[in-house]
Amino acid sequence: MPGMVKSDKPDLSVHVGPLALKNPILTASGTFGYGLEFEPFLRLDELAGFVTKGLSPLPREGNPPPRIVETPAGMLNTIGLQNIGIDAFIRDKLPRLREYDTAVIANVFGETEAEYVEVCQKLDQTDGVAAIELNVSCPNTEQGGMIFGNDATALSAITHASRKATRLPLIVKLSPNVTDIRVTARAAVEGGADILSLVNTFVGMQIDVQRRRPVLKKVCGGLSGPAIRPLAVWMTWQVHEAVDVPLIGMGGISSAADALEFILAGATAVQIGTANFVHPDGSIRVLRELQRWLADHDVATVRELVGAGHPKAPA
Amino acid sequence: MPRDITTALLANTDLGGGNWLLEFGAPEMASSMGPAQFFMIGIPGSATVLRRPYSVCGLPGTFEGRPDGAVQVLYKVIGRGTGLLAALAPGAPITVLGPLGNGFTPPDDPDTIPVLVAGGIGSAPFPALISTFRGNYTRPRMFYGAASASHLPLADWFSERTELETATDDGSAGVHGLVTEPLIRMLDGASHEKLKLYACGPGPMLEAVGKISLERELACELSLEAHMACGFGVCLGCVVPVHRPGDGIGYDRVCLEGPVMDATCLAW
Repeated sequence: MPGMVKSDKPDLSVHVGPLALKNPILTASGTFGYGLEFEPFLRLDELAGFVTKGLSPLPREGNPPPRIVETPAGMLNTIGLQNIGIDAFIRDKLPRLREYDTAVIANVFGETEAEYVEVCQKLDQTDGVAAIELNVSCPNTEQGGMIFGNDATALSAITHASRKATRLPLIVKLSPNVTDIRVTARAAVEGGADILSLVNTFVGMQIDVQRRRPVLKKVCGGLSGPAIRPLAVWMTWQVHEAVDVPLIGMGGISSAADALEFILAGATAVQIGTANFVHPDGSIRVLRELQRWLADHDVATVRELVGAGHPKAPA
Repeated sequence: MPRDITTALLANTDLGGGNWLLEFGAPEMASSMGPAQFFMIGIPGSATVLRRPYSVCGLPGTFEGRPDGAVQVLYKVIGRGTGLLAALAPGAPITVLGPLGNGFTPPDDPDTIPVLVAGGIGSAPFPALISTFRGNYTRPRMFYGAASASHLPLADWFSERTELETATDDGSAGVHGLVTEPLIRMLDGASHEKLKLYACGPGPMLEAVGKISLERELACELSLEAHMACGFGVCLGCVVPVHRPGDGIGYDRVCLEGPVMDATCLAW
């Protein structure tokens, strides 16, 4: 509006439950390595934080290739949780990550409850980790992950066991591959989750018509990218109405408008995923665009937009 | 240090047979990269989500008469990404991330004869490699194979700079058969010479050349190709099986540990 005083420096800080962030832009597990890979491309300090590649008790080599394929407005992956293991992460990555003013969120997964507990305990006993995100929803391993994420009872139990193993803020990352995501969301909260992040990838496949075979060696993979955004926004919207813990939304975000959809649906913060592959500084591009958008629309703090898309919310 | 830039296409030339030579200006990248390193190239606003990896074909000085600071990329139209690239006219913006990966390394001494094996569009990194040999090295031997004569877009360029033998599946140029056939004949007659193999092409060809090098205990660098989402080591989508210490098998990234890998490392 002409003459209106614009707030040049909108307040981007948010509190995601016990997790205080300087802005709402995080990066998603599996798309940001261990953070340090991005040093040539951006200032890690500028990001609110990032989520590590999923960490298991022992290193894992992951699945045989082909592991990825582009699909309309997205991509399928079946990496299989290749990672360096929790001990190497604490020994080789964390010391350098501590030099940055950014929230390091460790994504954790195991094949058994004991493995989740082991990794959570190790993270609890080290400095430099801001929160733990439980991966109970990876579609790409035979045992780890999704079996916990699809069954409300198992999810509640694994969350409870992990909760007891650490004092760190606990995020549970929900699978979208369920009939009603509100059921698993409530189960995670009952198990002791401080925060829910949603969603992980959708299971899908592509067939090479010439070869008459699946493109991916493991047949199916997880779909990410702009293709899933409307599905993920809808799930964020539903879960916001179903539970009282704060949410971190993700699914195909590559612009401020995309991020704002999740925030208006009820997410306090968001994670950038596939967009990190397209441009290594994709997360920073979203952050700067969001800052401009808030200033241009005279929004003093991003917090006033959280859940503001719901009819019951004040307009 | 890789950079992520937006630049304009200087040229995009149809070489026939679905092969194209693209040229763009990137002086800082051009001066810091070597043969078989690669770029991730994207088209702003296009229908594709991910950028695509392309090997550098020509560095400044590789192709005569080209502008300073320009680099050339040879590509073949296969899918959606390359189809969109071929539709671009000079002046169109592209985004380029690079230089990426580890390229070919020169032979240890100038007496070693470089033996180059290219399959189809796998010929892309060889002009840049050959231009690094100028003056200092023995004239390379080259074996260049493809489905047919129209898929040997750089045959004339190579024949002026190497001892070239071609091979085609349909016999329309050179040997009627696989590129490894004339390679093996040459190696059988060259047992006393120091040789180093460089290969780029389809997976089965690389596997065959790798095995030949292992059997004959010849140094051999293979430039690999893979689908990749990021190009800088984080998506873990482009891996190939490699030997780990002991008897183990693991996965290395084509983008970061490669694209050039030593034949002894690969676990095919």
